[in-house]
Amino acid sequence: MRAILIDDEISNLENLRSLLEKHCPQVTIIATAQNVSDAVDAIEKYSPDLVFLDIQMGDQTGFDVLRQLLTRNFDIIFVTAYDHYGIQAVKFAALDYLLKPIDIDELLNAVNKAEEKLATQIQTSQLDFLLQQLKKPETNVSKIALQMQSEIRYVTLSEIIRCEADNTYTHFFLSGDEKILVSKSLKEYADLLRPKGFLRTHQSHLVNPKYVKSWLKEDGGILLLISGEKIPVSKPNKDTVKQALQQL
Amino acid sequence: MKKILFTFLSFIIALSTVNAQKGINYFRKAGVGGKMLMSVDSSAKNLFCWNIFSNQPHTSFNFLPDVHNASVEIYFRKVDSPQHYRYTILENNKPLVVNKPIDLAQLKDANAGDEEVFRAATFGIVPIKDKIITIITYDIQKPQDVYKTVFYGKPIPRAKIQGFSKRFKTDLGVDYSWISHPKDRTKLTFTEKDDELTIIKDKSDVDYLYYISIKENKTGEIIFESTAWQYGGISEEHQFLPYVAFDKSIFKKSGDYEIIIQPRIKWEGCRDCDLSVKDREKYITRHTLSITLNEESYTKKELLIYTFAVALSIGLIFLIILYFNKKRNKRKLAEKEQQKNIAKLELNSIRSQLNPHFLFNALSGIQNLMNKNEIDNANKYLSKFARLTRNVLDDKELISLSQEKTLLDDYLQMEQLRFGFKYEIDHSEDLDLDIIEIPSMLLQPFVENAVKHGIAKKATDGKVTITMMKQANDLVLTVTDNGNGFDTKKKYMGLGLALSDGRIALLNSIYRKNRFTLAIESTTIGTNISLTLTDWL
Repeated sequence: MRAILIDDEISNLENLRSLLEKHCPQVTIIATAQNVSDAVDAIEKYSPDLVFLDIQMGDQTGFDVLRQLLTRNFDIIFVTAYDHYGIQAVKFAALDYLLKPIDIDELLNAVNKAEEKLATQIQTSQLDFLLQQLKKPETNVSKIALQMQSEIRYVTLSEIIRCEADNTYTHFFLSGDEKILVSKSLKEYADLLRPKGFLRTHQSHLVNPKYVKSWLKEDGGILLLISGEKIPVSKPNKDTVKQALQQL
Repeated sequence: MKKILFTFLSFIIALSTVNAQKGINYFRKAGVGGKMLMSVDSSAKNLFCWNIFSNQPHTSFNFLPDVHNASVEIYFRKVDSPQHYRYTILENNKPLVVNKPIDLAQLKDANAGDEEVFRAATFGIVPIKDKIITIITYDIQKPQDVYKTVFYGKPIPRAKIQGFSKRFKTDLGVDYSWISHPKDRTKLTFTEKDDELTIIKDKSDVDYLYYISIKENKTGEIIFESTAWQYGGISEEHQFLPYVAFDKSIFKKSGDYEIIIQPRIKWEGCRDCDLSVKDREKYITRHTLSITLNEESYTKKELLIYTFAVALSIGLIFLIILYFNKKRNKRKLAEKEQQKNIAKLELNSIRSQLNPHFLFNALSGIQNLMNKNEIDNANKYLSKFARLTRNVLDDKELISLSQEKTLLDDYLQMEQLRFGFKYEIDHSEDLDLDIIEIPSMLLQPFVENAVKHGIAKKATDGKVTITMMKQANDLVLTVTDNGNGFDTKKKYMGLGLALSDGRIALLNSIYRKNRFTLAIESTTIGTNISLTLTDWL
């Protein structure tokens, strides 16, 4: 895989380079860039398979690089030291990212995933989605990208009835009796969707309060959904769930 | 002589018989004034006898509402000369007997309780019921001393108020305003000019019998009482009407007063009287005066009470104001304290905001050293990083200049690892870095800004200079970079500088005595930030 590394700090570039050389022999570094315009030039010149993109680059961001590109037919791994908003958007788009200092296992995982991805269109559409989301203020984000086995589904949040954990996978129950299996843990989605009002009723249940019909007192508390499904509420979550439902 | 005595006795017996026939048994005797005693039937009640009047000498008034007939006797002392006495009997003001001498033949000795022996003569039986009998006696040697004894067998007439007059001052003297034939209630207003009130009663034969009193309704207190009826000036049908005049000063306050005119009869303590209060009321005139005073006058006691009340309320108000003032001050103080605390807290939170972006990038830099096998350097920077974070986490409010210098050294060296610029930290000789303290992390945000926005892009050409200088009593700290500068008017200065503005404001609110002033000068060839701590040294 031909890769370009983009970071405004030389030491970070050096670091990533040495890590890749040591642990990911399948990756060939064809270029590095330390600012946005160099990065755009390099990508357009070399058409890489993979781009390691730092989000925070001085006064500019890695997203600026993406915005200036005409075609984005490469896989991308975001790298960031600390950028809450950026990472949040990246997560909503189901894209891969690494945190500095770089964890070698995470690096291997991300590179492997990139290697597996053959259909780059998926990536392109995810990047489009990401850039769209970035245009909006954080609170207006209303869609999420769900990475399935062979496709990416873009789902509006109001479509999601509930999520249920299945080991490291997550089942999404959508309106219209659709069920999607996503290869990420419920915890990650809970972190993303809780700020959007979703209720973590149970270790393995995340519920969109829009679809809650009533609170049943049986068995210490159960949520009855409009669909007729019953979702358990675990003891430690009872109070917060109740409170949240009252505020609706 | 025996014959005479017999005749007299038989006369008395005959009289007794006559009286017995009439159903009268002269049993009880009562003094009626004017040397006279009266005998009435033992069943006679309500004998209000011998009422005398201080302004009417030698007059005694007997109110006998229940008596039909009375036998009246006159008693002479040994020193008296009965032969000089003359008597006149009037029935309803018409003479029955006029200037008749005492029948000396009738005189007999009588014992009147005491050891003293009197000589008594009778005036005979006098019909009382529905009549006014007046017996007038005098000694011809003292014709001025006329004794008048009234037997009143009629209901006493109720006095009538014929009118009021109010006297007021005029330019020429005084004048009167009149109210005649008032009803039950009269409204009177006293202005400054008014001074006297006159109450006029109807004329009766027994004016001296009545007395007038004025009662304040609110307190029930009698504020005026008089028997001093005057005559003259006011007349009706060619008769002078009795009146009483008094100064308006008896009315101390506006309000309702009651005029009461009633006969001066000893209703209580008389013999066999059981006239109820209600019955007596028939003889009493009551009239309500509604007084309005333009100038209220107060008694000393009232004045004292009012003064006290006013003083008390003023004191109370003062106390309340004082209390609220104190409370407000306390609250203000608490608020200030709270604000200060909040400011401190905010400062703390700002202080500990060492840019996480920097932290993780610094760690990344160390990771790079490790990966490049520069173990010594990795160790060096790792310990610098540790010391820096420790200093930041150390929640000290103040640190010495040398500590701040170390912190900046550490920080700048970590940043150097990332961007590879030059830096210098200078200080003036007369500054004792170990002793002078400044708020911790004061300069770091400015330095971070210099690195991030100033010279990060210039790499090895970049330079940051920090100076600490003493200027008179001020401590002047400067951070200079040779970057491309930024527009000082634009508020976009990165997290560090944006926070700094707030920090300076917070610092100024905490250290009120020392003023922190921040001067930023930015050109295309560099930025100079100067922080002055006024009177710090």
